[in-house]
Amino acid sequence: MREKGFGLNKTQDQKKKKLESAQPVVQEVPDISAHRVLVANRGEIAMRIMRACKKLGVGFTAIYTPEDEASGHVALARSLGEGKNIFRVSSYHDANELMSVADEAGCTAVHPGYGFFAEDFRFARRVKKRDRSMIFIGPSWKIIRELGDKINTKRLARSLGVPTVPGSDRPIYDEMEAEHIAKSVFEFQEGQGIERPLVLVKASAGGGGMGIEEVYDPDQFRSVYRRIRNYALRQFKDEGVLIEQRITDFNHLEVQIVSDRSGLNPVHFGTRNCSIQSTGLQKRIEVAPGFAPETLEYTFDANRVLTNIVEYSLTMAKKVGYDNVGTWEWIVTRKGEPFLMEVNTRIQVENGVSACIARVRGHEGVDLVAEQVRIGLGEPLGYTQAEIATEGVGLEYRLIAEDPDNNFTPWVGRIEHFSWKAEPWLNVLTQIPLDKPYEIPTEFDPNLALAIIWGKDIDEAKARGLSFLDSLQLDGVNGSGEPLKSNVGFLKSNTPRILKF
Amino acid sequence: MDNNIAKRIQSLRDRLVYLKDIFAGKHRDNADLLEQRLDTFSEKASADALDDPYAELAGVEDLFAYVERRLENEITPMDRVRIVRHPQRICLKDILENVYDNFTEVGGQDEHSLDPSMLIARAVIIRRRGKKSYQQSVLVIGQEKGHGAEFRNGGSVKPWGNAKALQYMRVAETEGIPIHAYIFTPGSYPIEDYPGAAQQIARNIYGMADLRVPIVAVISEGGSGGAEAIGLADKRLMLSHGYYSVISPEGAAAIEGHVKGGNRATPELIEHCAQNLHITAQDNLRFGYIDRIVQEPPLGARPWHFDFFRNLRQEMLRATDEVVLSTRLFPMFRGFALSSRRNPEANLDEMHMRWGLSQGASNRLREKRQQKFLRFSRNAAIDRRPFLRKKAGAFWDWFCKPWISLKYDFYRKHQRKIESFMEEMGNEWETFKMRLLSPWRKLAGKPKKPEATTARELTALSAWSGEGRRRKWNYISPRYKIDRAVTCPNSASYGCLDLWGPDLFAEFAGVCSHCGYHFSMEPEWYVQNVFDQGSVFEFNGEIEAGNPLNFPNFDERIAEARKKSGAKSACMTFEASINDTKLIVAMLMGTFRGGSFGAAEGYKFVEAAARAAKKRYPFLAYVHGTAGIRIQEGTHGVIQMPRCTIAVRRYIDSGGLYMVLYDTNSFAGPVASFLGCSPYQFAVRSSNIGFAGPGVIKETTGMDIPPKYHRSYRALSRGHIQGIWDRRQIRNNLQQALVTIGGRNLYYR
Repeated sequence: MREKGFGLNKTQDQKKKKLESAQPVVQEVPDISAHRVLVANRGEIAMRIMRACKKLGVGFTAIYTPEDEASGHVALARSLGEGKNIFRVSSYHDANELMSVADEAGCTAVHPGYGFFAEDFRFARRVKKRDRSMIFIGPSWKIIRELGDKINTKRLARSLGVPTVPGSDRPIYDEMEAEHIAKSVFEFQEGQGIERPLVLVKASAGGGGMGIEEVYDPDQFRSVYRRIRNYALRQFKDEGVLIEQRITDFNHLEVQIVSDRSGLNPVHFGTRNCSIQSTGLQKRIEVAPGFAPETLEYTFDANRVLTNIVEYSLTMAKKVGYDNVGTWEWIVTRKGEPFLMEVNTRIQVENGVSACIARVRGHEGVDLVAEQVRIGLGEPLGYTQAEIATEGVGLEYRLIAEDPDNNFTPWVGRIEHFSWKAEPWLNVLTQIPLDKPYEIPTEFDPNLALAIIWGKDIDEAKARGLSFLDSLQLDGVNGSGEPLKSNVGFLKSNTPRILKF
Repeated sequence: MDNNIAKRIQSLRDRLVYLKDIFAGKHRDNADLLEQRLDTFSEKASADALDDPYAELAGVEDLFAYVERRLENEITPMDRVRIVRHPQRICLKDILENVYDNFTEVGGQDEHSLDPSMLIARAVIIRRRGKKSYQQSVLVIGQEKGHGAEFRNGGSVKPWGNAKALQYMRVAETEGIPIHAYIFTPGSYPIEDYPGAAQQIARNIYGMADLRVPIVAVISEGGSGGAEAIGLADKRLMLSHGYYSVISPEGAAAIEGHVKGGNRATPELIEHCAQNLHITAQDNLRFGYIDRIVQEPPLGARPWHFDFFRNLRQEMLRATDEVVLSTRLFPMFRGFALSSRRNPEANLDEMHMRWGLSQGASNRLREKRQQKFLRFSRNAAIDRRPFLRKKAGAFWDWFCKPWISLKYDFYRKHQRKIESFMEEMGNEWETFKMRLLSPWRKLAGKPKKPEATTARELTALSAWSGEGRRRKWNYISPRYKIDRAVTCPNSASYGCLDLWGPDLFAEFAGVCSHCGYHFSMEPEWYVQNVFDQGSVFEFNGEIEAGNPLNFPNFDERIAEARKKSGAKSACMTFEASINDTKLIVAMLMGTFRGGSFGAAEGYKFVEAAARAAKKRYPFLAYVHGTAGIRIQEGTHGVIQMPRCTIAVRRYIDSGGLYMVLYDTNSFAGPVASFLGCSPYQFAVRSSNIGFAGPGVIKETTGMDIPPKYHRSYRALSRGHIQGIWDRRQIRNNLQQALVTIGGRNLYYR
């Protein structure tokens, strides 16, 4: 199918164009094998992207920094790739350097992975708009910008009737108005029977948890408001604040959306539940699907909630013409009310759990990273929602060198030994070389590995998960001779509460 | 040999040295002749070989006088520069001793002074009428060159010296005595301290613009900013061998010849510049920037020219009397008194008049002084405004003035009274109503809002008109089209990553996203992005910069600047509004000959200030960049310093809001006068503010200045500016400023 583009000489090509302008012709499938993708990331996601490229027959070029010399993604790039396929850079954060590498290697597309430039619309815009234009494998920069703005997203959701957290949907600049809204939010929560109502005041231009404060007492609101407003003015040069209900008792769900470049027919790959998190609200265990009503008891109609959030997410994706993979994040309260939190316009770490339970036309082995590259380079999706089904339960452990008893402080040192018992239902993704010791670089987050486990139902998945954690051998030592600390114990103790609200 | 003869020989030797020095190698034959005659005479005299040495000596002296008289006609402008800088030139101490009858130095003695180059003295003049003698006090201020004494710094005054001058001018104001200012300065000492040079000169000019006592200035060496710091006077006299210029000829030559890095301009180029800058007393009298020339003896006054001092005393008395007389109300007496003083034969020592001024007279004095300066230099700009429009404008002014004054001065005042009365009545009524209805409210209970409404308010899409707040820029720099990485100048110290041009010059508004460094933007950026769209209305665009001194090759350079920038002068004046608050803006554009300021720019600036005063609008001077006074316009340029400051002072005193916003680089004259005098000055980040650039400082003071010497944050810490603004926040900050600062007489107050 992909060879269709070959053999057309120039005149034929021109004729074809003329024809196209005269009358709409069936969509042409572009040839993606001529592309070369710059893998602008590190670690396990870089490895997944490289494998996906290899699978699709697309060339790739990887990068690494001196600290990452020993990382598995470097070795993989050397073993899989050909041509100018690995470059040393001084930083993963320097767009100029990435562009130079791309030009030198002749790349035609850039895959940002997650983190770094993944949700940076300016980077996406630069990739597209520079003199030697390339494809940004991710949504178009306009969509990244639109959905990256929380006020914009909230207003878009409300305009489509998608539920959002009660509160303001525009920056408030006026103190009287702010007080009025805060009062309403308190009253609203009292009406809902919430015992200790909380109001959240946040800088509308802020992000990443900066300039956010909770208010538990209406009388206290004014002083908090002024503090946040002044902070926002200093920090973000914009004194607008958002005032919202603070929801404390909730589950964190997300919907995986996939859409090709046409942006017309987004499909979903089900839901995930990411409620088991560290104290810093970083995900540690992810499960697909989002709830298991067949096995577990919920205080609300869980099936209905799942259907609703999927529908809402698709509605928004259609409205904006979403054209790559993305995740709609939701919070679901104990009453079963979903509220849209934000949209992540990138591939996520936990995409593997959705992939492992997905069946396209009945086939296993769905690879969302490969799908992202394929549709990102312009191929049509090639299947419809009706052809996507799910089977069983997938769960993912994030293995991290950290100390869960001490506020999840990262642990740094050398890993001496890392092994586990291979199983057909287990897929471990890691950049750590298994045949030699590995120094964890201090420059990046201390993610060691992702373990993706499949089971036919939630109980089997949990049992298999525990057996994996039991079989796991992970030893190491740091500079002062102390043994490695990891979150394996935390994962084990939290496995029983998976999917329980 | 007679001791007296030896002294006179020495004096002749000094005269010879002086003559050689000021001609710098020219007229060698004359000098040789004199030298030979003098040598012969002194040889013979020391050998006692002469019969009548006094007669011989008189012969030699006559020859000296003859040669000096002859060479007097050969003096070039550059020779004048050498004359005023010569150690033998008269200095302020000589004048104090010879012109005044008694004096006490105040504000320091010799080198034990805050600034030895600024000399201040309370002096006394005794005049007689018949047998009665009258004692009159004046305050004498001036730069002291001290016959080359090193600690006097050649009359180059440091900022605190100028501050001292201003302090004692205030003393004179309190005591009600006239000020005599003697200008002997090559220019101000260009250091940025506490205060900075420009900052202090601006304060001085601003203060003198409205000083309540007569000021008479005498210019010997008038070097731009330093001269203006004490030179804004009711009468300005000039010594015939002095110069008054925007810049020293060497400085002009360095700029003209694009001299860089330790090199010096050639003597020919310096001579050429001195010639073309029109710096002599005659030139300045012709332009009208001085009132009278005080004639000096041939080749310039030296301390032994006692006739000259007598003459100078008469001139000073005459000038002071005239200033005082000009404030008198009764024209008949005034005319009589004036004509008696104008008589060149009159001996002013034998006429007496009181120099104290009544309240009304001092008001008239200041008005006259201000009007005199405002009238200056209009002809030096090219005015292409159509005749009819000018006349219509004048008529409209004449018609509007009473109307506006009725509206703001009378109606508004009383309107406020009526409103406050009505308000109070309303409050009373509300209280009464509350009391009356309180039993009823108790019965009815508190009305409650239905819950559904609250829920809807909190979860449904709200109306938001402010979406425009997050708008894109109305204008983006054309540089955004170039696909290239731009390196931030701070990258070495802050590690900024290179910025992508299309991001930097469009969305980021030229601001480094890592360290906040501001790259310079085009003037259009500000016009379009700071003010309400479509509200900008330019006026007086037809006043164009020209070449009033016919400076060689300058016409072409002006034409080139016009072509390059699309503007006709470096100053654009327009009306605009910010969130519907109207204001007048004068923008100095760094894109037109570096934003240099000349007669046309001054004309537009003065007109803009007058317009703002008339309409009761706030007045903003946005300085996109200015390199200083346009040197090719000579004194036409430098006179803009006092002139525009007076315009600004009149505007501020009328109760307006005058704000200055500096961007990129702002230096020299404008900063040291009408910009630096504003009580509300702000700067855009990464801008530089100062008096002289690093090259000039090195050249004139020999100092190596520390890096970042002129950065705006240093101006902030020495109190020159009041804040540093982010470029993207200018609009918001201006809006805030319009609401919170400024005088009582703004139209929206």
